Amino acid sequence: MKYMKSKYDFYKLLATFIFIMLPWLFALIYNVYYKKDPYQAKIMVQNYNTDTLTGADHSKFKELQKDFKSPQEVTETCLSCHNNRGKEFMHTEHFQWLKKDSIPGRGNFEMGKRNILNNFCIGINSNEQLCSMCHAGYGYGNKNFDFTNQDNEDCLICHDNTGTYKKSNPCAGPNLPGAGNPSPGVNLSAVAQHVGFPKRNNCLSCHGVGGGGNNVKHGDLEMALNKCTRDIDVHMASKDAKDNNMSCQKCHRTTNHNIKGELAMVSSSPKNGISCVDCHTDHPHTDKLLNNHFRQVACQTCHIPTYAKVNPTKIYWDWSSAGKLKNGKTLQYEKEITADDTICKSGDYILAEDLPNLKSRDNFENVKLEYNGKHGTAVFANNLKPEYIWSNGYFDHQFISDKITDTIHPLILNKPFGSYKDNRYPSDKKHPSKIIPVKIMRGKQIYDKGNMNLIQPKLAGKIKGSGAYWVDFDWQASASEGMKYLNLPYSGKYSFIETESIWPINHMVSPKEKSLTCEECHSHNSRLAALTGFYLPGRDRSVIVDKGGVILIILALIAVLIHAIIRIINRKKTTH
Amino acid sequence: MKKQTYIYRSFERFWHWSQALLIFFLMLTGFEIHSSYKLMGFQNAVKWHNMAAWAFLVLIIFAIFWHFVTGEWKQYIPTSKFVKEQFRYYISGIFKGAPHPTKKTRYNKLNPLQRLIYLGLKLLVIPVQVLSGFIYMYYIYPNNPIHSSMGTIAVIHTIGAFTLILFVIAHVYLTTTGETVFTSIKAMLTGWEVVDVDEKEEHIKHMKDAVEKSVAGYYRLDKNGIFTDVNAAWLKMFGYKNKDEVIGKHYSIVREEKYMNRLDELVANVLKGNKIIGIPAIRKNKDGSSGKHILSANPITEGGEITGLEGFVLDINESDDYSQHMYDAVRNSRAGYYRLNSDGYFEDVNKAWLELYKYEDKKDVIGKHYSFSRCEEDLKNLDDIFKRVTVNGETISSIIATRKCKDGTKGKHLLSANPVYKQDKIIGMEGFILNLPEEK
Repeated sequence: MKYMKSKYDFYKLLATFIFIMLPWLFALIYNVYYKKDPYQAKIMVQNYNTDTLTGADHSKFKELQKDFKSPQEVTETCLSCHNNRGKEFMHTEHFQWLKKDSIPGRGNFEMGKRNILNNFCIGINSNEQLCSMCHAGYGYGNKNFDFTNQDNEDCLICHDNTGTYKKSNPCAGPNLPGAGNPSPGVNLSAVAQHVGFPKRNNCLSCHGVGGGGNNVKHGDLEMALNKCTRDIDVHMASKDAKDNNMSCQKCHRTTNHNIKGELAMVSSSPKNGISCVDCHTDHPHTDKLLNNHFRQVACQTCHIPTYAKVNPTKIYWDWSSAGKLKNGKTLQYEKEITADDTICKSGDYILAEDLPNLKSRDNFENVKLEYNGKHGTAVFANNLKPEYIWSNGYFDHQFISDKITDTIHPLILNKPFGSYKDNRYPSDKKHPSKIIPVKIMRGKQIYDKGNMNLIQPKLAGKIKGSGAYWVDFDWQASASEGMKYLNLPYSGKYSFIETESIWPINHMVSPKEKSLTCEECHSHNSRLAALTGFYLPGRDRSVIVDKGGVILIILALIAVLIHAIIRIINRKKTTH
Repeated sequence: MKKQTYIYRSFERFWHWSQALLIFFLMLTGFEIHSSYKLMGFQNAVKWHNMAAWAFLVLIIFAIFWHFVTGEWKQYIPTSKFVKEQFRYYISGIFKGAPHPTKKTRYNKLNPLQRLIYLGLKLLVIPVQVLSGFIYMYYIYPNNPIHSSMGTIAVIHTIGAFTLILFVIAHVYLTTTGETVFTSIKAMLTGWEVVDVDEKEEHIKHMKDAVEKSVAGYYRLDKNGIFTDVNAAWLKMFGYKNKDEVIGKHYSIVREEKYMNRLDELVANVLKGNKIIGIPAIRKNKDGSSGKHILSANPITEGGEITGLEGFVLDINESDDYSQHMYDAVRNSRAGYYRLNSDGYFEDVNKAWLELYKYEDKKDVIGKHYSFSRCEEDLKNLDDIFKRVTVNGETISSIIATRKCKDGTKGKHLLSANPVYKQDKIIGMEGFILNLPEEK
C-alpha cells in the first residue's frame, strides 16, 4: 500500500508535526532559558531603612564620669537627660510584665509573665528573685515590687553596648544579689558611658535564654544568632561582610519604647504584631503560583524549614519525675536517645518516637534526654521540623483560675483560635487564619486535683523548709506555698497533667534556596498531615476513586492482553 | 467496493495528534500532582500541567470551530443501529475473522461504538475535565465564588483522569484491529486509508457530475409542473442566463400555446408513473424563438409517492443529420395514423391511412371494428397485438403486418402501437403504419 501520494503529502505531514511540536519547543525553551529562576529574582523590600546617624558618644558626658554606687543611680542619671523616657518605659511590658489584651469571646484581661503559667518553669510568682534576672528593672523580688518607681527601671540591660553588663543569678552561688540586680563584677560607669541602640546581644541575653538556658524555650531564638551565617538566619547573619546583619528593631519596629511584636504565650491578639509583609509585600515571588499561597500559608511556613538550627531546644519537660536524689544530692544525668527509648520515668511511659515534635524526624541524631532531680525529665533536640497549625494570631489562655475540664487529653495552655474555616470566613478580616509553623512544647506539670486548676509551685529558694521545691523536694509544700503566695485556694491534692504550649516559629529564616519544596506539603508524606478538613493537592485523594481507578486500569490491561492473545492464536490457526 | 481514500484531513490529524500528546502530557503531570509518582517535581509538574491545560483549551476551541465549519460534527451523531453487532464483533467475531459489521467510508468514518464513545468523550469527559481543571486552577484565588468544595472538584477531576486512561488503553488497542496492526495509525498519520466506498453514494456523485457537465439539458419539475431545477445545458438551449429565471415558474413558459396540450398530456402521463423515452418536441425559447429537441421524462418518486418528474432534453440542430431525419420521418412521412377504442373500434384515422387502405372518406372507417382491415389468416396477429397493448400496456414499435384494402387487395406495412391512457386507464390503442413497398 502506498501511503505517501507524493512528496507534497510528505511535506504536508512534516508541516503538521512541526506545528504540533513547535509550541512545546517554545514553551520548553522559554521555561529553561528565559523564565526567571525564582531564586535568581531580586527580593523586593519596602519600608526598610538603615540608620545613617551614629548615636551620641556617652563617654564624653560629664554626668556619666562618676563611680555609680547603685544601678538605680545610673537610671536616675539617664533620666536626668532623657527625662520623658522613664514615664514612657514604665508602661511597657518589659517593665510591667503585664498588658491589657482581649481574648475573643472572653473579654479584656491583663496578662503577661506576672499571671500566665507555662510548661517550662511554670510561673514567676514566689520565684521572682530568680525570674527577674530577665526583668528590665531592679528589685523585683516579690509581688510588692513598686512598678511606679522610675528609678527601678533597668536601662542598661537593653542599651549596654559593651556586652559586659550582666544580671546576677542568685542561684549561682551563696550571697549573690537577686531580683534583677547587676552581677557584682559589672563596672556600672564603664557600661553607662557606652550605651546606644540595643544590639542583638541585648535582646538575646534574655529572649535567647528563656526557660533556663540557651535556646531552651523558643527554639528559634538563641545566642548563636549574635554571629551566624545566612543558612541559620538570612536577616541576622553577620559572618560575611555582605550579610544583612539586621538588628532586632529592624523588624520589631519601636516607637517610644513600644517594641512591636507579640508572643503567643503571653498575648491573645495580634494587635501589636509584626509581619514579613511589612517589608516583603504580599506578593514577593516572581511565580504567581507561589504568591497565590499567601492567602492560606504564612511566609514562615515555607521559609523556616527547621528551627533550633544550632543549639538544641527543649521539647519535653516532665516535672512529675523530678525529686530523685543520690547520696543527698540531686540526681543528674544525660544521654543520647533513639526512637524506641522511653522518655518518661514516672507515670506513663512513652516512646521517644511518639513525641509529635520528633515524629517527622529522619534521624534521631542529637536527641538528648536530660534528667535533673530538680526539674525532672527533659528532651532536647536540634534541627527540628516545626509542627503546623492554623492561626489568626489570637490565642486563648489557661489562667490559673480557669477550671480544667479534661484530664484525658493534653491541656493546651494557649489554645489558638485559628482554623481552616477562619481562613475562609475570617473573624478578623485583617488577620485571616493561616498555616504557621510552631514549636509545641509538651510536658507534665502540677495541678490541683481537688479544685481542678493549675498550681503555681514555689520553686526557687535557698532556705530549707521554705517550701521551695529545689531545696525541699516536696511538691505538697511547694504547691501550698506557691498558692498561698497568690492568695488562691489549694485543695491539698495535687497531681500532674499533660500540657502543651504553642510557640510560633518566626526566626531562623532560611535563604530562599533552602525554603521548603512543594513536596514537603504536597505529598503523601506531608508536613501538614495533622491539618485536616480541607483538600490539599498531592496530599489528599479519594481512596475509593484511586483504588477503583487502578483496579479498572489493571482490568482493562488484562482484558486487552487476553483479547490480543486470542486474536494472535486464532490468526495462526487460520493461516496454517 | 474498497478504495484508497483521503479520510483524515490535515487539521483533523493535527488536532488528533496534538490532543493525544496533550492528554498524555496532562496525564503524566497530573498524576505527579496527585503524588502517584515522582518525576519532574511537584512545582514543575504543576507549571507544565497548567501550561498544557491552556494549550488544550485553545486546541478545543479550534477543534469545535473546525467541526462546525466542515460539518464533521455529524460523524458523531449517535445511532443505536449496529451497536450490538459492533460489540459482538469485538468480543467474538474478530476472533473468527468475521468481517466488520459496519462499513467505514469517507462519510461514515466512525462505527456506532466509536460514535457513542467519542461523543461521550467530547460532551462529557473532556468538558468535565476542562471545567473542573480550571476551577481547580483558580480555586485558591481570594474571593472566589465556589467555597468549600475543593475536594469534590479534585475528586471529579481525578475520576475524569482515570476515565481518560481507560479510554486511551481501549482506544490504542482498538487501533490494532484494522486491516493490519498499524493500518489505523498509519491512516491517522497520513490521512489516507483503504475504506469502503458506498456504491450508491458514488453513483449519485457520478451522476450529479454527469448532469452538471452534460451537453444534455436536464430539468426537474414538481408535481404542479413548476421547475425546481435545470442545468447549465438546459439554460443554454432555452436561451436563459440564470437558473433563477426558470426555477419556480410553470413549464408553460417553454411552449407555444398550440403545443401546450401535448405537453400537458405528457406531464400528466408521467405523473401517473409512465416513462417517456424520447419524443420530439418544439420548444419556445426565452426570446420567443423556437427550437426542436428530443425530450425524455420520468417520474420522481419519494417514499412511494410521485412528487414530480425529471428528464433530459437533447437539442436537434440543423447540422445533426441523424436526429433531423428521425424527426422528419415521424413528422412528414406518409405514415398512417390510427386510433382504436378499448373495444377495437376505429375512432380516428388520418389521410395517409385512408390512402394506404384505398378509402376515400373517414366515415367509411370510423365506428367499424379493426377486423375489417385484415384477412382471416392475419387477423389473429392483430388480435394478439391489440390484446398486448390494451391489456398489458405494451408499446409495440414496429411489426410487419398485412392489410386488407377496400378493393380486397393486400399490402404490407410496418405497424407501431401504443396504449391510449385516460388518467390511469387504458382506453384504447393508437399508432402509425408505414407502407412497405412490394418486393420485386
